Amino acid sequence: MPPTDPPQTPPLTGRPDGLSRRQFLKLSGAAVILAACAPEEVVSTTQAPGTTAAPGTTAPSATGTIRFLNAENFWADWSPYSSTALSQNRLERQVYDFLVDYPSGDISQPAPMLATEWSQVDELTWEFSLREGVMFHDGQPLTGEDVKASVEWASDPDRSAYSLNWLPAQVEVVDALTVRISTEQPFAAMLPALGWHTPILSAAWLGGDQERLAGEPNGTGAFRLVDDQVEAKTMESNAGYWGGAPSVQTLIWEFIQDPQTRLSALLAGDAQVIDRVPPEQLGTLQGEAEVQLVSSTAIESINLFVRPGRLPLWDENASFRRAVNWSFDRIPLVENLVLGGSAVAGSFIPTNTLYYQQQEPAYAFDQATAESELAAAGENPEFELWVAEGFQPRSVEVVQAMVAQMEQVGLQPRVVTTDIGGMVDDIFSETGTGAMYHISWATNGDPAPASAVYSSAFAWWFGDERLQELVELGATTLDPAQRQQHYEDLQAHMWEQAWHVPLYNSDFTIAHSSNVQGITIQPNVLKTDFHQAEIVS
Amino acid sequence: MARAFLVRLGQMVLVVWAVVTIVFFILRLTTGDPARLMNAPGTPEEVITRTRERLGTDKPLLAQYGDYLVDMVQGDLGTSFRGATPVADAVVAALPNTLMLAGIAVVLAAALALLLGSLAARRPNGLLDRAVLAFVALAQATPAFWLAVILVLFFSLRLRWFPAIDLTGPKSFVLPVATLVITLSPVLIRTVRQSFIETMGEDFIRAARARRVPEHRLFLVHGLKVAALPLVTLIGLQLGFLLAGAVVVEAIFNWPGIGKLILDALASRDFPMIQGGVLVAAVAFVLLNLIVDQVYGVLDPRVRVGPR
Repeated sequence: MPPTDPPQTPPLTGRPDGLSRRQFLKLSGAAVILAACAPEEVVSTTQAPGTTAAPGTTAPSATGTIRFLNAENFWADWSPYSSTALSQNRLERQVYDFLVDYPSGDISQPAPMLATEWSQVDELTWEFSLREGVMFHDGQPLTGEDVKASVEWASDPDRSAYSLNWLPAQVEVVDALTVRISTEQPFAAMLPALGWHTPILSAAWLGGDQERLAGEPNGTGAFRLVDDQVEAKTMESNAGYWGGAPSVQTLIWEFIQDPQTRLSALLAGDAQVIDRVPPEQLGTLQGEAEVQLVSSTAIESINLFVRPGRLPLWDENASFRRAVNWSFDRIPLVENLVLGGSAVAGSFIPTNTLYYQQQEPAYAFDQATAESELAAAGENPEFELWVAEGFQPRSVEVVQAMVAQMEQVGLQPRVVTTDIGGMVDDIFSETGTGAMYHISWATNGDPAPASAVYSSAFAWWFGDERLQELVELGATTLDPAQRQQHYEDLQAHMWEQAWHVPLYNSDFTIAHSSNVQGITIQPNVLKTDFHQAEIVS
Repeated sequence: MARAFLVRLGQMVLVVWAVVTIVFFILRLTTGDPARLMNAPGTPEEVITRTRERLGTDKPLLAQYGDYLVDMVQGDLGTSFRGATPVADAVVAALPNTLMLAGIAVVLAAALALLLGSLAARRPNGLLDRAVLAFVALAQATPAFWLAVILVLFFSLRLRWFPAIDLTGPKSFVLPVATLVITLSPVLIRTVRQSFIETMGEDFIRAARARRVPEHRLFLVHGLKVAALPLVTLIGLQLGFLLAGAVVVEAIFNWPGIGKLILDALASRDFPMIQGGVLVAAVAFVLLNLIVDQVYGVLDPRVRVGPR
């Protein structure tokens, strides 16, 4: 701030211009008294259940209201195909429905949702019968046209962020409640794509004002959005829901960045469910009678993904890759650091994925083998290992533990700690310097998206044509036995080539008040469903 | 006086413009592409490009800056990258919450500083003085985030006296304000104490004492008026610290203020929201400093801005 003028000598005669100190103090005191007497206008964040919250406010915890504190920002808007932000995916499941559902989380067990039955007409075509009497939140009935608009948009690589889970599809509306979905190649993961990544929107809304689409979701889901703040989404029970109205009247999803704040809110009763309980809090919550923990091994691979071209020796030399894989122990990472439901990675696709197969050898810390492989590699360059702080739990500690053992073997990693934004930038930057990245890849349980991340469509492909072939075969083979064989071959090939460094499958733990029952949480981290939730006394 | 005020206003506008400009360019030149963060790695480039178009980050940097300035002058702070929320709505809703928190904390911290500082100064190196200095040392060494968590653990979770998070009523103010007061007051207490000690040694006090002015009047009237002046200046200097401290407190208590707004926006590279929050915070900061300077001028006639 600019300095004030130097002190000036007051005039010898008369009062200085302006207020005297005594007058100023009197007026200030009067102002304070008046302000204290004024009616209280505290900007309240409370509201009665079922009402609309004013901007910048949130609802209290009360009967009929569940407040779920999220660990991840609400990155995106309500246009479902504009981003693949996980937080938005989970949120969308409250207001949108899908053609099929996976109530148990088992990717091989789809169940009817908006589609009541389905059949495969030929290798390229599926036919779906739609549920009658389903209404969008604006009162319009669901028809085949809505399914056509949604599926074609979702599978369009020019428009949809979800197209990486699809092959381009065309939809024929046979009649108001019957559609046929066709792809140019056999699409083995059609049902998972429909069940996890293709919320059904109104065709009129999809084709209309895109700003309205982004700001006002109009789905057929169990909840309707009634207030949309940047950090808090308030929804209310859809009384006309085809599957029966939820017993919880108000559902609030709110982003709170700090895990300690989320924990305090749960223990104080200011929230009923909290997301992504970090490892250091598990012990605290396990001792609380009024709190229940739900832990699972997430369908999420945590690897050191290696960026092709950044570390030439890695690209060319299998001995160097094996040296890194034998240079640290994974078991202590999950048992002592990540905790919860985390599990050592036995393959490059997550444990709970269809056709998962434990691979051999199980990489562990073997100094002699690592040193031998390193010697066989002939070179030992320095490389940058990037880790994002504040994204995956204890990611920095995990990397530090690994690096300590790597250095013992003689490797020369240099750790770069950043945030997720910085890491993503470096991955895609032409001048990026990172070679390895501590990154997660979460999928829906089908092996197609789980393995696609290693293919030519993504930044992690090393030009391995055999790998590419197996990825494509797995995605387009419909016969279950053949498909299983392709994925077993793929996993074995990837394990042998070791293009990346498998670490573990992450823990996914949610905590909720004991008086809240019926929340559906699935390890694929995509579904946290409150449709059947209820508050019991 | 009017000319001086206009000059001062111009300086304030310059400061705010500089802050906003620096933040604008820093956000866009440092790491983190919002379009990529919203999409999984491997999302087709067409989708990333479309996202950038939707967010407006595809334009040349100077074009984005020009658009931003034009909109800002018209009161349009843009739309959040997260959803369709107008930034102006969000910051206008958040600002009063931060000002209330900071305002109450400043008043209480100043009152505490005057009370403890003056009591400590009555008998330097006495028992009370040593106790006050011990409190000051302890409070100064205590990080705000740690203190906030401890207060929540004890008063919210253990005793259930106050809510752990949110702004739900008068009780919500207690713990966040206590955190800010305890972390802000040490410097103020030290300053007031030292100022009192120096003032009570001045000639005019000795002269008043020679005129048999009662000691309590010497202290509370003659001494207080002069000794309290540095407090006003110090509050002005501490405003930046207070706003920064409010960020931490708002995050821990989920207080719906500007600090939390900016912090959450930073994590997601929500450029418009960050810029809007910083703009409002900068304006509030320079206005408060102006008020502090004017107050100081009123309290101390020796310091006046402008010609007489």
